[in-house]
Amino acid sequence: MARVAFVAHCMLNQNAKVVGGALCRGIYPPLLRQLREEGWEIAQMPCPELTFTGLNRFWAVREQLDTLAYRRHCRRIVAAVADAVCAHLERGDEVVLIGLEGSPSMGVRVTSSDPARAGRPEWPDGAPELTPGSGILIEELLRELRARGAPEPRATGIRHTLPDFDPGAERAELAAFLRN
Amino acid sequence: MQTDERSRRVAVVSDDLVNADAGGFDVLDVLEQAGWGAIVLPPAWYPAELSGDLLAQFAEHIEEFLRHGYDVVCVGSCEGLSAPLAALGVAMPESRTPSGAEELLEFLDQRAMPAHG
Repeated sequence: MARVAFVAHCMLNQNAKVVGGALCRGIYPPLLRQLREEGWEIAQMPCPELTFTGLNRFWAVREQLDTLAYRRHCRRIVAAVADAVCAHLERGDEVVLIGLEGSPSMGVRVTSSDPARAGRPEWPDGAPELTPGSGILIEELLRELRARGAPEPRATGIRHTLPDFDPGAERAELAAFLRN
Repeated sequence: MQTDERSRRVAVVSDDLVNADAGGFDVLDVLEQAGWGAIVLPPAWYPAELSGDLLAQFAEHIEEFLRHGYDVVCVGSCEGLSAPLAALGVAMPESRTPSGAEELLEFLDQRAMPAHG
Protein backbone atom coordinates (compact mmCIF):
# COMPACT_ATOMS: atom_id res chain seq x y z
CA MET A 1 0.00 0.00 0.00
CA ALA A 2 1.33 3.39 -0.98
CA ARG A 3 0.61 6.70 0.66
CA VAL A 4 -0.22 9.30 -1.96
CA ALA A 5 -0.50 13.05 -1.43
CA PHE A 6 -2.55 14.93 -4.02
CA VAL A 7 -1.03 18.39 -3.86
CA ALA A 8 -2.16 21.74 -5.20
CA HIS A 9 -0.43 22.42 -8.49
CA CYS A 10 1.47 25.49 -7.31
CA MET A 11 3.17 23.57 -4.50
CA LEU A 12 5.34 21.99 -7.18
CA ASN A 13 5.16 24.82 -9.68
CA GLN A 14 5.10 28.39 -8.46
CA ASN A 15 5.17 29.49 -12.10
CA ALA A 16 1.42 28.84 -12.12
CA LYS A 17 0.76 31.44 -9.42
CA VAL A 18 -0.93 34.76 -10.01
CA VAL A 19 1.71 37.42 -10.76
CA GLY A 20 3.14 38.66 -7.49
CA GLY A 21 2.25 35.44 -5.72
CA ALA A 22 5.24 33.21 -6.42
CA LEU A 23 7.17 32.83 -3.17
CA CYS A 24 9.92 30.65 -4.63
CA ARG A 25 11.30 29.83 -8.07
CA GLY A 26 9.50 26.56 -8.71
CA ILE A 27 8.96 23.81 -6.15
CA TYR A 28 8.05 24.79 -2.58
CA PRO A 29 10.92 23.10 -0.72
CA PRO A 30 9.48 22.53 2.76
CA LEU A 31 6.56 20.50 1.48
CA LEU A 32 8.71 18.43 -0.89
CA ARG A 33 11.17 17.62 1.90
CA GLN A 34 8.47 16.58 4.33
CA LEU A 35 6.67 14.42 1.81
CA ARG A 36 9.97 12.70 1.00
CA GLU A 37 10.97 12.31 4.65
CA GLU A 38 7.63 10.74 5.50
CA GLY A 39 7.63 8.44 2.46
CA TRP A 40 4.66 9.87 0.56
CA GLU A 41 4.23 9.55 -3.18
CA ILE A 42 3.25 12.73 -4.95
CA ALA A 43 0.35 13.35 -7.34
CA GLN A 44 -0.17 16.86 -8.63
CA MET A 45 -3.57 18.40 -9.24
CA PRO A 46 -4.11 20.72 -12.20
CA CYS A 47 -4.37 24.45 -11.48
CA PRO A 48 -7.92 25.60 -12.23
CA GLU A 49 -7.09 29.29 -12.30
CA LEU A 50 -4.17 28.95 -14.72
CA THR A 51 -6.35 27.30 -17.34
CA PHE A 52 -9.37 29.54 -16.77
CA THR A 53 -8.06 33.07 -16.54
CA GLY A 54 -4.42 32.43 -17.48
CA LEU A 55 -1.04 33.63 -16.28
CA ASN A 56 -1.97 37.32 -16.53
CA ARG A 57 -4.99 36.98 -14.28
CA PHE A 58 -5.70 39.45 -11.52
CA TRP A 59 -5.68 38.49 -7.88
CA ALA A 60 -9.19 37.33 -7.09
CA VAL A 61 -11.40 36.45 -4.17
CA ARG A 62 -13.86 33.60 -4.12
CA GLU A 63 -16.89 35.62 -5.16
CA GLN A 64 -15.19 36.77 -8.36
CA LEU A 65 -14.53 33.19 -9.44
CA ASP A 66 -17.74 31.67 -8.18
CA THR A 67 -19.58 31.63 -11.50
CA LEU A 68 -21.35 28.85 -13.35
CA ALA A 69 -18.57 28.79 -15.94
CA TYR A 70 -15.80 28.49 -13.36
CA ARG A 71 -17.71 25.79 -11.46
CA ARG A 72 -18.07 23.86 -14.74
CA HIS A 73 -14.35 24.27 -15.36
CA CYS A 74 -13.53 23.02 -11.85
CA ARG A 75 -15.88 20.06 -12.23
CA ARG A 76 -14.07 19.02 -15.41
CA ILE A 77 -10.79 19.00 -13.46
CA VAL A 78 -12.38 17.39 -10.43
CA ALA A 79 -13.81 14.51 -12.47
CA ALA A 80 -10.30 13.45 -13.45
CA VAL A 81 -8.81 14.07 -10.00
CA ALA A 82 -11.62 12.11 -8.35
CA ASP A 83 -11.04 9.26 -10.80
CA ALA A 84 -7.36 9.29 -9.82
CA VAL A 85 -8.13 9.40 -6.10
CA CYS A 86 -10.56 6.48 -6.48
CA ALA A 87 -8.04 4.51 -8.55
CA HIS A 88 -5.57 4.77 -5.66
CA LEU A 89 -8.20 3.95 -3.04
CA GLU A 90 -9.20 0.85 -4.99
CA ARG A 91 -5.56 -0.32 -4.82
CA GLY A 92 -5.64 0.15 -1.07
CA ASP A 93 -3.50 3.27 -1.11
CA GLU A 94 -3.90 5.96 1.52
CA VAL A 95 -4.75 9.34 -0.02
CA VAL A 96 -4.54 12.84 1.43
CA LEU A 97 -5.20 16.24 -0.11
CA ILE A 98 -2.82 19.17 0.38
CA GLY A 99 -4.26 22.47 -0.75
CA LEU A 100 -3.26 26.09 -0.30
CA GLU A 101 -4.84 28.07 2.51
CA GLY A 102 -6.17 31.47 1.52
CA SER A 103 -6.75 30.45 -2.08
CA PRO A 104 -10.17 31.06 -3.62
CA SER A 105 -9.79 27.73 -5.41
CA MET A 106 -7.48 25.49 -3.39
CA GLY A 107 -8.10 26.58 0.21
CA VAL A 108 -8.96 23.76 2.60
CA ARG A 109 -9.82 25.63 5.79
CA VAL A 110 -9.12 29.23 4.77
CA THR A 111 -10.23 30.89 1.56
CA SER A 112 -10.54 34.52 0.50
CA SER A 113 -13.76 36.45 0.39
CA ASP A 114 -14.87 39.98 -0.33
CA PRO A 115 -18.43 40.24 -1.64
CA ALA A 116 -17.90 43.88 -2.61
CA ARG A 117 -14.73 43.44 -4.64
CA ALA A 118 -15.36 44.38 -8.25
CA GLY A 119 -14.36 46.80 -10.92
CA ARG A 120 -10.93 48.30 -11.36
CA PRO A 121 -8.48 46.05 -9.48
CA GLU A 122 -7.16 48.34 -6.81
CA TRP A 123 -7.17 47.47 -3.13
CA PRO A 124 -4.80 47.85 -0.20
CA ASP A 125 -2.42 45.06 0.79
CA GLY A 126 -3.76 43.24 3.79
CA ALA A 127 -7.38 43.81 2.87
CA PRO A 128 -9.41 41.60 5.23
CA GLU A 129 -10.33 38.99 2.66
CA LEU A 130 -9.28 35.81 4.46
CA THR A 131 -12.17 33.85 5.85
CA PRO A 132 -12.85 30.33 7.10
CA GLY A 133 -13.95 27.99 4.34
CA SER A 134 -12.68 26.02 1.41
CA GLY A 135 -11.87 27.04 -2.13
CA ILE A 136 -14.07 26.22 -5.06
CA LEU A 137 -12.08 23.33 -6.54
CA ILE A 138 -11.57 21.68 -3.16
CA GLU A 139 -15.28 22.09 -2.46
CA GLU A 140 -16.19 20.53 -5.81
CA LEU A 141 -13.68 17.70 -5.34
CA LEU A 142 -15.03 16.74 -1.92
CA ARG A 143 -18.58 16.95 -3.26
CA GLU A 144 -17.68 14.66 -6.17
CA LEU A 145 -16.01 12.11 -3.89
CA ARG A 146 -19.04 12.09 -1.61
CA ALA A 147 -21.32 11.60 -4.62
CA ARG A 148 -19.26 8.57 -5.59
CA GLY A 149 -19.45 7.15 -2.10
CA ALA A 150 -15.68 7.37 -1.72
CA PRO A 151 -14.24 7.98 1.73
CA GLU A 152 -13.34 11.61 2.19
CA PRO A 153 -9.56 11.99 2.24
CA ARG A 154 -7.92 13.82 5.09
CA ALA A 155 -6.99 17.29 3.88
CA THR A 156 -4.82 20.17 4.95
CA GLY A 157 -3.47 23.30 3.37
CA ILE A 158 -0.10 25.01 3.16
CA ARG A 159 -0.27 28.38 4.88
CA HIS A 160 2.78 30.15 3.49
CA THR A 161 0.80 32.98 1.91
CA LEU A 162 -1.08 33.86 5.11
CA PRO A 163 0.02 36.84 7.19
CA ASP A 164 0.33 34.76 10.37
CA PHE A 165 2.49 32.11 8.69
CA ASP A 166 4.89 30.42 11.10
CA PRO A 167 7.28 28.04 9.28
CA GLY A 168 8.08 26.05 12.43
CA ALA A 169 4.45 25.60 13.36
CA GLU A 170 3.58 24.55 9.82
CA ARG A 171 6.38 22.02 9.74
CA ALA A 172 5.17 20.49 13.01
CA GLU A 173 1.53 20.46 11.90
CA LEU A 174 2.38 18.96 8.53
CA ALA A 175 4.56 16.29 10.13
CA ALA A 176 1.72 15.34 12.46
CA PHE A 177 -0.71 15.28 9.54
CA LEU A 178 1.53 13.09 7.39
CA ARG A 179 2.31 10.69 10.25
CA ASN A 180 -1.30 10.33 11.37
CA MET B 1 5.54 46.73 -6.69
CA GLN B 2 4.99 43.05 -5.99
CA THR B 3 7.94 40.70 -5.72
CA ASP B 4 7.62 37.45 -7.54
CA GLU B 5 10.18 34.68 -7.38
CA ARG B 6 9.03 32.53 -10.30
CA SER B 7 11.73 31.21 -12.62
CA ARG B 8 9.57 30.94 -15.76
CA ARG B 9 11.07 27.46 -16.15
CA VAL B 10 8.91 24.35 -16.01
CA ALA B 11 9.94 20.71 -16.28
CA VAL B 12 7.30 18.14 -17.15
CA VAL B 13 8.29 14.93 -15.38
CA SER B 14 7.16 11.35 -15.77
CA ASP B 15 5.72 9.75 -12.66
CA ASP B 16 8.23 6.91 -12.58
CA LEU B 17 11.06 9.37 -12.05
CA VAL B 18 9.18 11.07 -9.22
CA ASN B 19 7.59 8.20 -7.33
CA ALA B 20 9.30 5.00 -8.40
CA ASP B 21 12.91 6.18 -8.19
CA ALA B 22 13.35 4.90 -11.75
CA GLY B 23 16.25 7.26 -12.36
CA GLY B 24 18.04 6.36 -9.14
CA PHE B 25 17.95 9.98 -7.98
CA ASP B 26 15.34 12.45 -6.77
CA VAL B 27 14.31 14.41 -9.84
CA LEU B 28 12.17 16.85 -7.86
CA ASP B 29 15.06 17.60 -5.53
CA VAL B 30 17.26 18.44 -8.51
CA LEU B 31 14.56 20.62 -10.06
CA GLU B 32 13.97 22.41 -6.79
CA GLN B 33 17.65 23.20 -6.34
CA ALA B 34 17.93 24.34 -9.97
CA GLY B 35 14.88 26.57 -9.61
CA TRP B 36 12.53 24.80 -11.97
CA GLY B 37 8.85 24.20 -11.39
CA ALA B 38 7.44 20.75 -12.07
CA ILE B 39 4.43 19.20 -13.70
CA VAL B 40 4.21 15.57 -12.61
CA LEU B 41 2.44 13.39 -15.17
CA PRO B 42 0.04 10.61 -14.16
CA PRO B 43 1.49 7.14 -13.55
CA ALA B 44 1.55 4.58 -16.34
CA TRP B 45 -0.83 2.24 -14.51
CA TYR B 46 -3.78 4.66 -14.63
CA PRO B 47 -6.53 3.60 -17.08
CA ALA B 48 -6.04 5.21 -20.48
CA GLU B 49 -9.15 7.37 -20.23
CA LEU B 50 -8.09 8.77 -16.87
CA SER B 51 -4.55 9.46 -18.04
CA GLY B 52 -5.94 11.09 -21.17
CA ASP B 53 -8.10 13.48 -19.14
CA LEU B 54 -5.20 14.52 -16.92
CA LEU B 55 -2.76 14.80 -19.81
CA ALA B 56 -5.21 17.02 -21.70
CA GLN B 57 -5.36 19.33 -18.72
CA PHE B 58 -1.61 19.47 -18.26
CA ALA B 59 -1.25 20.13 -22.00
CA GLU B 60 -3.37 23.24 -21.48
CA HIS B 61 -0.98 24.32 -18.72
CA ILE B 62 1.98 23.87 -21.04
CA GLU B 63 0.29 25.83 -23.82
CA GLU B 64 -0.28 28.73 -21.44
CA PHE B 65 3.33 28.70 -20.22
CA LEU B 66 4.72 28.59 -23.76
CA ARG B 67 2.38 31.34 -24.92
CA HIS B 68 3.94 33.59 -22.31
CA GLY B 69 7.54 32.73 -23.18
CA TYR B 70 8.26 30.37 -20.30
CA ASP B 71 10.74 27.57 -20.95
CA VAL B 72 9.24 24.09 -20.80
CA VAL B 73 11.13 20.80 -21.06
CA CYS B 74 10.19 17.16 -20.64
CA VAL B 75 12.11 14.84 -18.33
CA GLY B 76 11.59 11.12 -18.70
CA SER B 77 8.89 9.38 -20.67
CA CYS B 78 6.34 12.03 -21.60
CA GLU B 79 5.10 10.66 -24.94
CA GLY B 80 1.53 10.65 -23.69
CA LEU B 81 1.55 14.41 -23.99
CA SER B 82 2.20 14.50 -27.72
CA ALA B 83 -1.42 13.94 -28.79
CA PRO B 84 -3.05 16.44 -26.42
CA LEU B 85 -0.36 19.01 -27.22
CA ALA B 86 -0.81 18.43 -30.95
CA ALA B 87 -4.55 18.97 -30.50
CA LEU B 88 -3.67 22.43 -29.17
CA GLY B 89 -1.21 23.07 -32.00
CA VAL B 90 1.77 22.82 -29.65
CA ALA B 91 4.96 20.90 -30.42
CA MET B 92 6.44 18.55 -27.84
CA PRO B 93 9.01 20.35 -25.68
CA GLU B 94 12.62 19.21 -25.83
CA SER B 95 12.91 15.97 -23.92
CA ARG B 96 15.63 14.18 -22.00
CA THR B 97 15.78 11.02 -19.93
CA PRO B 98 18.82 11.63 -17.75
CA SER B 99 20.84 8.81 -16.27
CA GLY B 100 21.58 10.80 -13.16
CA ALA B 101 21.33 14.11 -11.36
CA GLU B 102 24.42 15.54 -13.04
CA GLU B 103 23.11 14.85 -16.51
CA LEU B 104 19.78 16.44 -15.65
CA LEU B 105 21.49 19.52 -14.23
CA GLU B 106 23.67 19.79 -17.33
CA PHE B 107 20.59 19.59 -19.54
CA LEU B 108 18.79 22.27 -17.53
CA ASP B 109 21.79 24.56 -17.23
CA GLN B 110 22.36 24.75 -20.98
CA ARG B 111 18.87 26.12 -21.53
CA ALA B 112 18.64 29.82 -22.28
CA MET B 113 17.17 31.86 -19.45
CA PRO B 114 13.66 32.96 -20.44
CA ALA B 115 13.12 36.69 -20.70
CA HIS B 116 11.10 38.12 -17.85
CA GLY B 117 8.03 39.70 -19.34
